Amino acid sequence: MTRSVWKGPFVDGYMLRKAEKARASGRNDIIKTWSRRSTILPQFVGLTFGVHNGNKFLPVAVTENMIGHKFGEFAPTRLFRGHTAASKKVEKK
Amino acid sequence: MARIAGVNIPAAKPLKAALRYIYGIGATHAAAICARTGLDPAKRVNQLTEAEVLRVREDIDAHYKVEGDLRREVAMNIKRLMDLGCYRGLRHRKGLPVRGQRTHTNARTRKGPAKAIAGKKIATRK
Repeated sequence: MTRSVWKGPFVDGYMLRKAEKARASGRNDIIKTWSRRSTILPQFVGLTFGVHNGNKFLPVAVTENMIGHKFGEFAPTRLFRGHTAASKKVEKK
Repeated sequence: MARIAGVNIPAAKPLKAALRYIYGIGATHAAAICARTGLDPAKRVNQLTEAEVLRVREDIDAHYKVEGDLRREVAMNIKRLMDLGCYRGLRHRKGLPVRGQRTHTNARTRKGPAKAIAGKKIATRK
């Protein structure tokens, strides 16, 4: 189910204020955020956000293509290290 | 035989069925094309006149993206996701389900035929 258009995109309020501040000041410092649920707005393009993945803040440089996605989509929360190699027992068979 | 939308040559079937051989045209669009061009959906393709075939061709050109163009659009959409580095893109890259389905079991459509896992114990019957 898609979100109703009349509601507009969801963004945590403080994201807008922080983005504005970063834009006004000397850019390129990472804006740390836990707000994975916020939509990426056109105002955020060019800024770098540190999106929390539950462990640390992953840097996400926002580009134009990312508009409309959520921040969380760019910071995977799971780490897959592959399956364990086959045990020697079986190899002998 | 009639060539519609490039290389497609739908058979000696009723128009509504033959149109569905075109990539991007299903039952709904086929019916819509018949309605718009005022042709009988049950009429066989080899019984259509040249003018009628032309009308169908023009109607498709005007209203739908089909075949190569459509395939390219789909591929581009997937490529966009993959280049973006977003979650959906990662799933496409790994060939796993994109929309949150379980992968503990099933998901064979995306994962392909099951691979044997070396070292896995075979269940013994009691």
